[in-house]
Amino acid sequence: MLKAIIIDDELYAREELNELLVETNQVQVIEQCSNAIEGLKAINCLKPDVVFLDIHMPQISGLELLSMLDQETMPKVVFVTAYDEYAVKAFEDNAFDYLLKPVESCRLLKTLKRINAERSELPNYEPIINNKLELIPCSGFNRILLLTPNEIEIAMSEQTGVHLLTEKDKFTASLSLKVLEEKTDLIRCHRQYLINPTCIREIKLLDNGSADIVTKSGHHAPVSRRYLKVIKDRFGLL
Amino acid sequence: MEVTLLLLQQLSVYLVITYLLSKTPLFMPMLFISGRNSHRIACYLLFSTFCILGTYFSLSIENALANTRAIGAVMGGLMGGPVVGLAVGLTGGLHRYSMGGFTDVACMISTTCEGLIGGLLHLYYLRKGCIEKIFRPLTAMAITLFAEIVQMLIILIVAEPFDKALLLVQSIALPMIIANSVGAALFMSIIQDRKAIFEKNYNAFSNKALRIAQLSVGVFRNGFDAKSCQKIANIIHQETGVGAVSITDREKILAFIGVGDDHHLCGTVISSDYTLQAIKSGEMTYADGYSTAYQCSIHEDCKLGSVLVIPLLEADGRVLGTVKLYEPKQKMFSTLNRSLGEGLAKLISNQILLGRYIQQKNLLNQSEIRLLQAQVNPHFLFNTLNTISAVTRKDPQKARELIQHLSHFFRSNLKQNIDQVTVKEELEHVHAYLEIELARFADRLSVRENIADELLSLKIPTFTLQPLIENAIKHGTSTLIGKGELDINGYLLEQGKETLVVLEVIDNAGNYKTPTNMNSKGLGLQIVDKRIKNEYGQRYGLTMTCETGVYSKATILIPLQKRKEA
Repeated sequence: MLKAIIIDDELYAREELNELLVETNQVQVIEQCSNAIEGLKAINCLKPDVVFLDIHMPQISGLELLSMLDQETMPKVVFVTAYDEYAVKAFEDNAFDYLLKPVESCRLLKTLKRINAERSELPNYEPIINNKLELIPCSGFNRILLLTPNEIEIAMSEQTGVHLLTEKDKFTASLSLKVLEEKTDLIRCHRQYLINPTCIREIKLLDNGSADIVTKSGHHAPVSRRYLKVIKDRFGLL
Repeated sequence: MEVTLLLLQQLSVYLVITYLLSKTPLFMPMLFISGRNSHRIACYLLFSTFCILGTYFSLSIENALANTRAIGAVMGGLMGGPVVGLAVGLTGGLHRYSMGGFTDVACMISTTCEGLIGGLLHLYYLRKGCIEKIFRPLTAMAITLFAEIVQMLIILIVAEPFDKALLLVQSIALPMIIANSVGAALFMSIIQDRKAIFEKNYNAFSNKALRIAQLSVGVFRNGFDAKSCQKIANIIHQETGVGAVSITDREKILAFIGVGDDHHLCGTVISSDYTLQAIKSGEMTYADGYSTAYQCSIHEDCKLGSVLVIPLLEADGRVLGTVKLYEPKQKMFSTLNRSLGEGLAKLISNQILLGRYIQQKNLLNQSEIRLLQAQVNPHFLFNTLNTISAVTRKDPQKARELIQHLSHFFRSNLKQNIDQVTVKEELEHVHAYLEIELARFADRLSVRENIADELLSLKIPTFTLQPLIENAIKHGTSTLIGKGELDINGYLLEQGKETLVVLEVIDNAGNYKTPTNMNSKGLGLQIVDKRIKNEYGQRYGLTMTCETGVYSKATILIPLQKRKEA
C-alpha cells in the first residue's frame, strides 16, 4: 500500500480523487489538504510515499509548494490539473507524471504502476521548481502567515522547530533551515542559524575565533568559527 | 439759384454712376472697414476716381469751376482714414491743378484739406470705438458741409486777386456747399443700402447653411448609402429651393430628388460628363446652361437646364462621390446656392467621415463583446466539468442541475447582437455562473445578493455584471485560503438632480491593484467600463476601489432612464 496525501483546494475534486484511489486498493489516503500550507505541514509530518498535488491553489501554488520541500525527503509527486498548458508542457518535457481532471481511473492505474516501479528512485523536480521562494509560510497561533524573505532577519533551528525573527515578531516556519538556505538569500552563520546579510548592523569578533552578529533591530545571532570566514569573504573582509 | 440747380443736375449723373458702381464687386471693400492695406488701396483708387469725376462734372463759372470734387475727397478720408484721405485729396487736387485757372493752387490745397478732414473724422470715430458711425449719411453730410466751408475760406485766402476770389466765392459757395453735402449724404446712403442688402443675404446664407448642417447631423450614422443620401438630398432640396438635388458615389446615383426624378433613377450609372469630370479631377464643375451648354445625359426632354457638381472629398483628397444641384431651364442658378453648394459638399464629406467613424466604433464594440464571450476561459470549463464529474458520484440530481446551469451560462454567452438586457436577465446569467462556482468552491465561497426590486426591469448593457463577478472570484475569493465572501448589491442613488443605478460587486480578498497603465486593468473590466462610457458618457462606468487584504469593490454607475442617442 502506498501512503498518499491529496492536496487540492476544491472539496469535490479531493473527494473524487479519494474515491478513485480507494477503488484501486493500492493506495491509502492518509490526509487530504485544501491548501499548500496545510499540505507542506502534512508532508513534513506524515512523510507520504506519494502526493497528489493540484497546481492552482490559493496563495501558494503546487509548484511553489514543491520548491519548499527538502530534496532529500522528497516524496513522489503526481501533478493534477484541470487545465494548464504551460505546466503540462513542463511535465511532459521532464517526463513527470501528471493527471488531468476529471481523472480517468485507467490512467490513474497506469500512474500507480509507474510509481511502484520507480519506488526506489529519488525524484528530482529541479527543472520545474523555483530557485528562490517568494513567500515563506509560517504558522502562528491559529493563523497562517506568509512572510517575504527580506522581512526575515534571522532564522534559527531549535527543538521546537524553525523560528524566524523579523523586526518585531517571531514565527514558526514550516520549512527546514536547509530549504531556507537553498531557496532564499539568507546565509548560514552557524549550524543552527541563518542570517539575512542585508540586516546585519555589527559583527563583534570574539577572542575564541567566533563572532556575534547584531541585526538592525537588535537581534543577536552567533557566528561559529567555521562560518566566520565565509561571512568575512562575503563582505570582502580579511 | 440757377447754379445750384445745375450743379445738382450734374450731381445726379454723378450719383447714378455711383449707384451703378455700387452694384459691382468694386464696391465690396467699401462695405466693411477692415483697416487692411488692401482696403486702403481700394479706397484710394475708388475715391480718387470719384474725386476726378467730380472735377469733370463741373460748371465753368467765371474762369473757375463749381464742382462736386469734395464728395470723393471727404468720403475717401471718411472710409479710408487720414492717410487715404490725404492721398485722395492730393490726387484730386493735382488733377484739378492741371486744369489751370486762377484758383488752381487754392483748389489743390483745399481738396487735400478736405480729404484730411474726412480722414480725421474717421480717426476720431476709430479712437472712440464707434467706427460704424461713419456710415450715417448725416455724418457724411455734416463733415462735407464743414469741409466745403473750409474750402471757400482757403480760396479767399490763397487765390489772387482777392476781389475776383470773393466774387467767385459769392456765386459758387452756396451751390457747392449744398450740392456736395447732399451728394455726400446720398453717396453714403448708397453704401449703407448695399451694406444692408449684403448683410441680409449673408444672414440668409448662414441661416440656411446652419439649418442644413443641423438637420444633416448624424444622417450618415449607418454609412454613406442610398438611404442616408435620400435624406440629405431631401434636406438640401427643401432648404435651398433648387430645382433638383442628386447625390452620387463614384459609380452611380444614390439619391435624386426634384424636377426630373422620373428618369434620374437611383442606382443608374453616372453618365454625365460634368460629374465624371468632377470625380476625376476632385474639383467643382458648373454648367450654367448658357455660356456652358448643359443637356441632361439621360433624357433629351429633361427640364433641367443647369447643373453644379461638387465632389465629396475624403480627408486624403480622394473623391467619395458628388453632390449635384440642378435648376430647371427657365430658372437661373443663384450665386447664393452656388457658394452654399460648396459648403454643403464639405459638410456632407465631414458627416460621411464622422458616420464611418461611429460605425467603426460600433463594430469595435460588437467585436469586443464577442471577445468577452470568447473569454470564457478553459480553466472555468475544465474545472466545471471536473466538479460535475465529482458531484455525479454522490449526488446525480445536483450534477444534472449543474449541467443545466452550464448550458444556460453558455447559451446566454452566445446570444449575440444584443446590446441591452434587463438587470433581471443579466442576473440570471450571473446565477447560472455562480451556481457552478458555488459548487466548485463548495465550502470556500458564499454569496450575498441584494438587488433592489425596482432595478430588475431596467436595461443595462449585456455582460456588465458577470465579468465583474468572474473577476472577483478568479482574482479575489479563489486566492483566499480562508472563506471567500461575495456581495452583489444593486440600488438607486439620488445624486443632485440625477438618479443613478449603482451596481456593486465586493469581495473580501482585497487583491485589486490600481493599474499603473490603462491596459493592465484587465481586458474584461476595461471592456465593461468602455461600453458603459460609450453608451452613457464619460461620467459613468466602472470604478474599482480596494483596501488591500480587506476588500475589493467594483462599482458601476449608470444613469437612470437617460440613454444617450447613439
